[in-house]
Order: sequence, then C-alpha cells, then structure tokens
Amino acid sequence: MQITIDIDHPEPLFAQLIEQIKQAVQSGKLSPGDPLPSIRQLAKDLEMNNKTVAKAYHLLERDSVVQTKGYRGTFVHADAKANSTIDLNAWVTNKLSESIAEFRESGVTDSEIRIAFGNVINERSTKGVR
Amino acid sequence: MLTSTNSLFYIAFLGQIFLLSYYFPKKILGRMKYVMDTYPPSQYPRLYPKPIEYYRRGQLGFKYATRFIVVLGFVILYAIIFLVDHSTFADDGYISEAWPAAYGIIQFLPLMVLEFSEFGQYKMMRKANVATTRTADLRRRGLFDVVSPVLVVLAVSLIVGAILLDLYVHQFTIEWGHDTVERAITLTLTNSLLAGLGAWLLYGKKLNPHQGPGDRNKQISTNLHSFLYVSMAMSVFFMTQAVDDIYNLDFLDATLMTLYFQVIAFLSLGHGLREQKLEDIDFEVYKDGAGDEKGQLA
Repeated sequence: MQITIDIDHPEPLFAQLIEQIKQAVQSGKLSPGDPLPSIRQLAKDLEMNNKTVAKAYHLLERDSVVQTKGYRGTFVHADAKANSTIDLNAWVTNKLSESIAEFRESGVTDSEIRIAFGNVINERSTKGVR
Repeated sequence: MLTSTNSLFYIAFLGQIFLLSYYFPKKILGRMKYVMDTYPPSQYPRLYPKPIEYYRRGQLGFKYATRFIVVLGFVILYAIIFLVDHSTFADDGYISEAWPAAYGIIQFLPLMVLEFSEFGQYKMMRKANVATTRTADLRRRGLFDVVSPVLVVLAVSLIVGAILLDLYVHQFTIEWGHDTVERAITLTLTNSLLAGLGAWLLYGKKLNPHQGPGDRNKQISTNLHSFLYVSMAMSVFFMTQAVDDIYNLDFLDATLMTLYFQVIAFLSLGHGLREQKLEDIDFEVYKDGAGDEKGQLA
C-alpha cells in the first residue's frame, strides 16, 4: 500500500503523513501489528527530512495509532482503528472555542484573552509543564 | 595446438563470446527497441528527459561496441590457437587464464557503461521532474523482506567456507603476497562491495522519481538476488582454485575462468532479464500528470 504527499499543499507535510496513515488504518489497509517503514526509509522515499517523518510518527504514537518497539521498529497499535477516529486538533479547537465563548460572555476582551493565553503557554513552557 | 583440454577451452571460450557479447546484448537491444516503440515520447514524456535521438544513438553505440567485441573475441581465439606460443607465454605451458579474464573484462565494459548511463538517465529524470507529489510504500523494506534468510546464510557460509578451504589446503599459511591471502582479500572486498551496493539499494535514495513502490521493490529484490548468486558463484570459483592447487589442475585454469565469466553473466544479467519482464513494469507512471493527485492511498 502506498501514500502520496504533495509538497506544495498548504497542509504541512507531517500532517499529510499523519492523515494518510490514519486513513490507511481506518480503511483496513494497515492492520494492528503491521510494521511501518523506518523513519529513514520513509524520509528517503518521500524526499523529506527525517525530522518531519519523526514528528509525524511521534504524534501518531502520542495518539496511540502507532507503537515504537525499540530497535524492532514502529508498528500499528492494537487500538489504532479506534484511535484514528479521534482528531486531537478538532478536540483542541472545540475546547478553546467553548472557553473563549465563556470568557466573552463574562465580558473579557479578545485582547485580554490573547495575552492571558500567551502568558499561560509561556509560563508552562518555562516550567516544563505539559 | 589441438588437445582435448584445449578443445574444451575453445568451445567454452566460444560460449563466452556468444553469451556475453551476442546473446545478452541482443536481448538488451530488443528490450530497448520494444520500450521505444511501445512507449513513445509523445505518450510517455517522463521516460525521455532527452530527445529520442539521444537514446537511439546510445542504442547504436551499444550495438556496434558489442559487435566489435564479438570480432575481437574471434581474433583472440585465432591468436590463442594459431599464433601464441603457450610454452613461453605462461609458466606452466598451458593456455593462460589471463586470456578469458582480460576478454571478459572487455566484454563487461559496454554493459557497465549502459549501467552507468542508467544512473545518468535517472538524474536527468529527477532534474526534469516538476511534479509536487511524492509516493512511498507503507511497508517496511528490510533485507529479509526481499530475500530469504536461508539464501543470505548460504552465501555467507560459502564465503567463510571458501576462505577456510583455501587456508586449509595451504596449511594455514598467512603471508603477505601469498595466493591464499590475496584470494581471501579479493573475496572479502568484492563481497563488501556487493553488500554496500545492496544496502544502498535497500536504504538509499530513490533513483527513479517516477517508479512506483511495487516496481521498485521488485527491482531491489531482483538485484539483491543477483548479488547473492554472484557472491555464491564467486565463492565456489575460489574453492575450485584451492582444489586446483591440491590436484595441480593448471591445464583447466583457462576453461574454469571462461566458465566463471559465463556463470557470472548468467546470474547477474540473465537473472535480471528473466525476472524483470517489461510487461510487468508499470509504464503508466511516465505519462504526463500520472499520480499527481495528493492524498492517494493505493
């Protein structure tokens, strides 16, 4: 099974990669336990930077779509099909929209929301909190 | 001089001329012609980064070079039979294995030029490639995904076996300049080169930008099988050299050498031509706009 990436597409390359691997899992073209190509192999074949593929694999691992087993490589996660339907980007957008709507109802201005959001992000980054 | 051993060599050498400079080149030329006739530049522009005349000239050059080498082969055979005094030319007085070896190297030259020009062709294809899409296989490509572990173990065992047999025959004499050491070094270096080429094919950059993953995997598998067969043939040849030293089979050296070249050609070129059938290759990827759509899963 093969994937196609468009380097001129506005969607970032790692996001295209994630989307297509999730699609492959959902359509049954990739089954739980199937080995995935190494980061190096996929990066060479797609003429991409290793870091881009590594980022995609890292995010897929975070979402429990793939599983890295040390030197043995990366495999499709046992619960990959169920986890491929969860779109974390959509979830974050939804949660933020709810919070922003609540702030606005309480009279907080957009400028104050931006500053507060930036402060929280910066504070957590500085302290190394996830 | 017509002895039974010499006659055996003459027949084997005729086989070398025929196989390496007529039979395989004819097959290759037939494939070139078939591709140019069946997949013309008007319909498959991505296959021809240069005008078709450039490829026709290359085809002609290859044809004339191999035909010239056939004539050269007959001249060498004539010289071996009627002109060369083997008692002064070689220490042992038999036909020297240098004749088929030197001629074999000349025979491989146009084939090597063809191989290198293929890299040039891929480079031009990459340069001319304006497509923004990139395709990859989502299957892992490891050594044992394309070749059987048994074959790899067998090839490695034969290398070790050939070196050990040679050492055993020569009472484990390890001296710089000794035949055994030279053969062990040659075997190790050649196999390292084959292993390096194999690793480069497996894990290296995609050379042909349009080639689909299926065709690429097939090509890698065919090449790796060829490398393994060539490695095994080389080990067996080196074993015969060791046996040759025990039984003083110097009179067979030239015949063995010519047969060795033929076996190598059969296992490398012959295997490639047999396994990579043109009708199995996907030429649709060379059409304009083929596979340019983003986000395809196939």
